[in-house]
Amino acid sequence: MTRPLSTPVVADARLEAVLLRHEIETFNTAYAVTLDEQRLMDWVELFTDDALYVVLSRENFDRGLPVGLIYCENKGMIRDRAFALRETAMFAPRYLRHMIANLSVFEEASDGTITARANYVVLQVLFDRPDATLHQVGTYYDKFRRTADGLRLAERRCVYDNLLVPNALCIPV
Amino acid sequence: MAWQRAASLESIPENGVLGVEIAGTPVALYRLKDEVYATHGVCTHALALLAEGFVEDGKIECPLHQGVFDIRSGKALCAPLTRDLQTFAVKVEGGEVFVALDQSAHEAGEKRPEESTLENAAATGGVVVIGAGQAAAAAIIAMREAGFGGTIDLIGDEPHPPYERPPLSKEMLSGQGGGPLYRLTEEDATRQKVKLHLGIRAAAVDSAAQTVRLDDGTTLSYGALLLTTGGRARRLTVPGTDLPNVLHLRTIEDAAAIDRAFGNASDVCIIGGGFIGLELASAASARGLAVTLLEREAEIMSRLLPASLGRVFRKLAQQHQVDLRLNADVRAIVERGRRLGIDAGGEIIEADLVLVGIGLEPELDLAQTAGCQCAGGIVVDADGRTSVPRIWAAGDCALHHIESGNRALRLESWHNAEEQGDAAGRSIAGVTATARKAPWFWTDQFSLNIQMLGLVGAGDLVAHSGVPGAAPGAVYRTIDRNSGRLTGVVAFSKTKAIREARAELEKEGPFDLAAAGAQLLNAISASEEINLEVGDMNANPPLSITTRYVWPKEGLRRIPDWVYTDQTIYEREIERIFQGRTWNYVALECEVPNPGDYIRSNVGPTPVVVSRAEDGTIHVFENRCAHRAAEFCRELSGNAKEFVCPYHQWSYDLKGNLAGVPFRRGVDGKGGMPKDFHNADHGLRRLNVTTHRGVVFASYRPDMETLQEYLGPEILAEFEATFDGRKPRLLGHYRHTLPGNWKLYHENLKDPYHATLLHTFLVSFGLLVAGNKSLMLADPTGRHGVMASAKSDKSVSSESKNEMRAYREGMELADPRLMNFIEEFDSPWSVTMATIWPNLIIQREMNTLGVRQIVPTGPHEFIMKWTMFGFEGDDEEMTRHRLRQGNLMGPAGFLGLEDNEAIKFVQDGMQHVPNGNHLVELDPAVAMGTSDTLISEAAIRGMYQHWRQEMGL
Repeated sequence: MTRPLSTPVVADARLEAVLLRHEIETFNTAYAVTLDEQRLMDWVELFTDDALYVVLSRENFDRGLPVGLIYCENKGMIRDRAFALRETAMFAPRYLRHMIANLSVFEEASDGTITARANYVVLQVLFDRPDATLHQVGTYYDKFRRTADGLRLAERRCVYDNLLVPNALCIPV
Repeated sequence: MAWQRAASLESIPENGVLGVEIAGTPVALYRLKDEVYATHGVCTHALALLAEGFVEDGKIECPLHQGVFDIRSGKALCAPLTRDLQTFAVKVEGGEVFVALDQSAHEAGEKRPEESTLENAAATGGVVVIGAGQAAAAAIIAMREAGFGGTIDLIGDEPHPPYERPPLSKEMLSGQGGGPLYRLTEEDATRQKVKLHLGIRAAAVDSAAQTVRLDDGTTLSYGALLLTTGGRARRLTVPGTDLPNVLHLRTIEDAAAIDRAFGNASDVCIIGGGFIGLELASAASARGLAVTLLEREAEIMSRLLPASLGRVFRKLAQQHQVDLRLNADVRAIVERGRRLGIDAGGEIIEADLVLVGIGLEPELDLAQTAGCQCAGGIVVDADGRTSVPRIWAAGDCALHHIESGNRALRLESWHNAEEQGDAAGRSIAGVTATARKAPWFWTDQFSLNIQMLGLVGAGDLVAHSGVPGAAPGAVYRTIDRNSGRLTGVVAFSKTKAIREARAELEKEGPFDLAAAGAQLLNAISASEEINLEVGDMNANPPLSITTRYVWPKEGLRRIPDWVYTDQTIYEREIERIFQGRTWNYVALECEVPNPGDYIRSNVGPTPVVVSRAEDGTIHVFENRCAHRAAEFCRELSGNAKEFVCPYHQWSYDLKGNLAGVPFRRGVDGKGGMPKDFHNADHGLRRLNVTTHRGVVFASYRPDMETLQEYLGPEILAEFEATFDGRKPRLLGHYRHTLPGNWKLYHENLKDPYHATLLHTFLVSFGLLVAGNKSLMLADPTGRHGVMASAKSDKSVSSESKNEMRAYREGMELADPRLMNFIEEFDSPWSVTMATIWPNLIIQREMNTLGVRQIVPTGPHEFIMKWTMFGFEGDDEEMTRHRLRQGNLMGPAGFLGLEDNEAIKFVQDGMQHVPNGNHLVELDPAVAMGTSDTLISEAAIRGMYQHWRQEMGL
């Protein structure tokens, strides 16, 4: 049996892994750019309809306590978050840089859900100070699913290590 | 007769005195020329050894109060003595002196004059004396001595026969069971044929009919009436004067009550810096109590003494750790738990006990109804006669008669009672008064005996000689500014100066200061002392805080920036508020459910550990090793059998007691702790703890009122509406820093004005509009508050809409469950934010519940720890609902992030603008406290009313 030449044959699991990893890294880069540019309504579109998005402290995470700084059970709530921040929230203007690294990709489940993990850092610059402050540092615990539009987040739990949040978290991480 | 050897003759100084003890009895031996005499060794007036006295002309003068006895007869010769001295028989054999304690010296002294039927003023109907005090006793004795033989009726409203009042503020407060000193005992009264009517008031005097009606119905007629009605202790006219443990001093019962109260108190606040106030301060200080003394004027005793002399007395008290405050305007006395708080012009001074010594109000009612001329006291002549025939007056109720001057004053002194009583008694008996002696007064303060002779004027010049200050031997003379004459002498533990002063005072013409080695003092006033401080920033003591921090003249309608930005103010807050009389939130019980469970927490900035011991009790102690201060507990929470400091392995039990010290006994007999080291003395610093409905509070004060009392009924009701009896279940924490002053957070939640204006989310989605039912509640102290509102289902009225620029039609939530309110509380409010002073906010934002703990870290920043909870019994959906609604709050909440940003903006705005003020004018109809409009800042004003009291600013 011969294969059509136009169809690439990917039989090597290592190559599969590299491609998946690349796909997730590309996603995370786009995610970071969206937040850096504070395009919150675009950020909403990076999630599946049933997505869980939670920002919670390492303290709560380790003790199995559910409270999060942000707690969204579905895309509607994620959209409400973005919409309310854009339309009603008052906070000082700022620049943000989201850095995502140390990606680990775990196995793809039979239902197509991909489990992954990455570290993240958010740097924040206020206009009246020379320094960029380390606004948040933590780990994303992710579940991705493939959709017609590509990879989307079905779950992102942002577990931050700096338990004392500096004043306020205005833009999601 | 039992002769006992007392001393060798030669051991007794010629014309001097020697003190010995014979069979436990102190005896004074005197050698006058060739004769030896013996008397009891202790003065009959107060506890003083006569052997330390002064022998002159056959008399012994007591070292303490200058009482003089005749050595041969023991007769008491002058004030303040009222009782003769016991004498003993003496013989000298072979150079040895023998004394017989069971026999008095040979019958000496003059016999009393025979009773006469001498025609006198009282002969027509006997004498009635109203008021059974010392002046009455002196008068009665003088009458009888002068030979008056008629009847004497003595009426006193106290149940006691006449007694001396000076010991009431001295010996009777020593805690040693010192009893009263009677001036005329019941036996004396019987002997003097005086009929006592004690515990009975004289209701009226009819001077035409010459009768006195008593309130037991008796009517007595008189030939002569003597008014020795004395006075009442003046009472404060501020709220709280009738509270228990606010005591006055006038009677034996008052003294006994104060003596008892001293035994139960650790500190006392004395109001009034007069002689009584200072003696009370001295007595309290001697009993080991911490003393605060409040004086209304700029210097103590400013109406009696020149300021520079008042200052000497003040310094003496201050040297003995009396916290003496001038210009103290006492506005109210309030209950502070089991203690009292004295609101002294913006500052609350706490004490177990308040003593009021602000003077005497003379009892003039009877004199006035009898028609006697009064001018702040009953007007009398030198013989004690009033303006009404056959009525005399003496003592505290009577004015002092001064021959030459036109000064009208009352002398509230032992000596004056004696002198006036004696003069009136003689006059009633028909005998001309003997020459009066210069007014004389003594006071015992801080182990010093201070005597004052003459009539000192507050405007007199003051000259000093001898030892400086108030040390024993210091002598002050007061000089009339116009004539240069000596007016008075004040001597600190130097009776010789007073003895000499009698002659000095009689001299005519200006006093020769140089000859007396005296130098005029500058009239230093207290206000000048403060000016000195202002001029010199390095002055010691440094500039007082109340001089540096002055509240704006507009009052609570302005808040100065230094309230929020100053390090000194911040440090004072830690001491006076967080470690003061407050209950500080530290934990929810559900955070430490099991024995051994603990969490780290804070009281103010101070790290503490909240731990549940084996017996289930909750304990709070400082997270600071008793050895080298290490903050030993590092985990946020956990379970432990004990706490061990990692540095040197000191271990503590779950209650904070020191359990083990490694190598306590050293090694090989060397090193280790001192032998007197006891673990019990070196535990962790433990705080007072209380819990209510699963919420744990701690206080540095061991004597806190209950939490219920601390909150007051209205705030308690709101507390219990949220903590409604269901067991809280921990859902998690948020923690954040906030670069603003900690009080701004309280203010934000006492400022309903901001809710609709800052939080446009609320308005956009219809959660809160200005027309909603709402309340800004403040407790009566102003410290606690509850901001409450009820969710409205009505659509926003067009009128309200216009006020709310953020209201936008068509804005809808994709998941409106966020705004659902599931009824679960017995409360008309869907949202309440309770601010519990000083560090707790209880959030009930519909169904998302949390407590927020303020941990200040400096004037410019604090940490906020949020503990979110539900209740046991919540199903999964209810828990999720609480979590969903949690998006409103916290440092990323739709409302919470805005509050944090706004508070930061406020702090930023104060950084670079010197001497700024905040404007807090909204709702002028409510000066402070509870308001039923959201457009109000009355609750903020109420909070600062309380803050200023606590801070003394």
